[in-house]
Amino acid sequence: MTDNFEQELRFLQMRFIGKILAGFTHESKNYLAIIKESAGLIEDMIKLGKSGEAASSQYLEITHSIEEQIEKSAGLFKYLNRFSHRMDTKLSGFNCNEALEELIALVNRFANQKRIELAKDFQQDLPQIYGNPSMIQFLIFSFLEENIITLDQNSRIIIKTETANGSIMIGIIPEGNLIEVEREKVEFPYETYDIVLKQLGGALTRLKGALKFTFPLKVSDI
Amino acid sequence: MSQTKILLVDDEVEFASALAERLQMRDYDVKTAANGLEAMALFHNSPPDVVILDLRIPGMDGLEILKNIKIFDPTIEVLILTGHGDVESVAEGMKSGAFEYIMKPIDIAELTSKIDMAMKKRIGSRD
Repeated sequence: MTDNFEQELRFLQMRFIGKILAGFTHESKNYLAIIKESAGLIEDMIKLGKSGEAASSQYLEITHSIEEQIEKSAGLFKYLNRFSHRMDTKLSGFNCNEALEELIALVNRFANQKRIELAKDFQQDLPQIYGNPSMIQFLIFSFLEENIITLDQNSRIIIKTETANGSIMIGIIPEGNLIEVEREKVEFPYETYDIVLKQLGGALTRLKGALKFTFPLKVSDI
Repeated sequence: MSQTKILLVDDEVEFASALAERLQMRDYDVKTAANGLEAMALFHNSPPDVVILDLRIPGMDGLEILKNIKIFDPTIEVLILTGHGDVESVAEGMKSGAFEYIMKPIDIAELTSKIDMAMKKRIGSRD
């Protein structure tokens, strides 16, 4: 591999991780903001001496909302933790559905901004495979991001998994209208992605805008 | 001085309703909107004195809302609410006429102080 490729790949991977972290911190700050306002509201109500049945019911409602935000935060932390640990080793046994599920949770914010729904259509009994899950997440993110940028509002992207002919297939199927994008402002380095895909032993086919990634199935005994 | 009329635009409904209630307890007249369309409808129906605007609301560019507000009535002051250090969009917002910005999670005393300063500026601009 050339130095240029390695540099480009490193840049794209750093950009990918940066975006995941930016989305995560933004989402976390939103949860914290709700918790802080809820706690502040309780404080204000106490200071005003609000009591009685209606106030008690509001206190309960607010504390439930705080619990809910904490649960949502914990869920997001779990996904980020799992995502981070996937980089511990180059190769490992993993479940493709789990790797995609955490990726979707971490990029959902970007899709929501454009009111684009990320829908999962996973084969439930997908076998555990052996490979490089971080690289697969990086590739899928790159193509998901391209779809999020080029699709109009209120669109949908289906992320599909299935086994076929000794391979695992990951499909990215956009549903919605495309919008004009200033290509010079948005980079899609297909050549780099293509080399990464080949390194992973995978292949990519496009059919009417839908992307089908196939990875040879090396069933993991881990 | 009459009650300051505030329009709070944020898609985080629980955040907006808790903050609205806290501001009401401090004697502000607050309406909330969860998206751009709702915000513009409320805005035209009953123009506020101060708008607290999350720039990243789904389905509409917050900067566009800000520009529309300033075209409709340049004396209406806008406080940008941001959940992260998106320096570029905050700078863009300030360039488009926002009065100030405030980061989430917010400090209520800091927010009310900025609202009062914005209201003072609005009154000054109208006189």
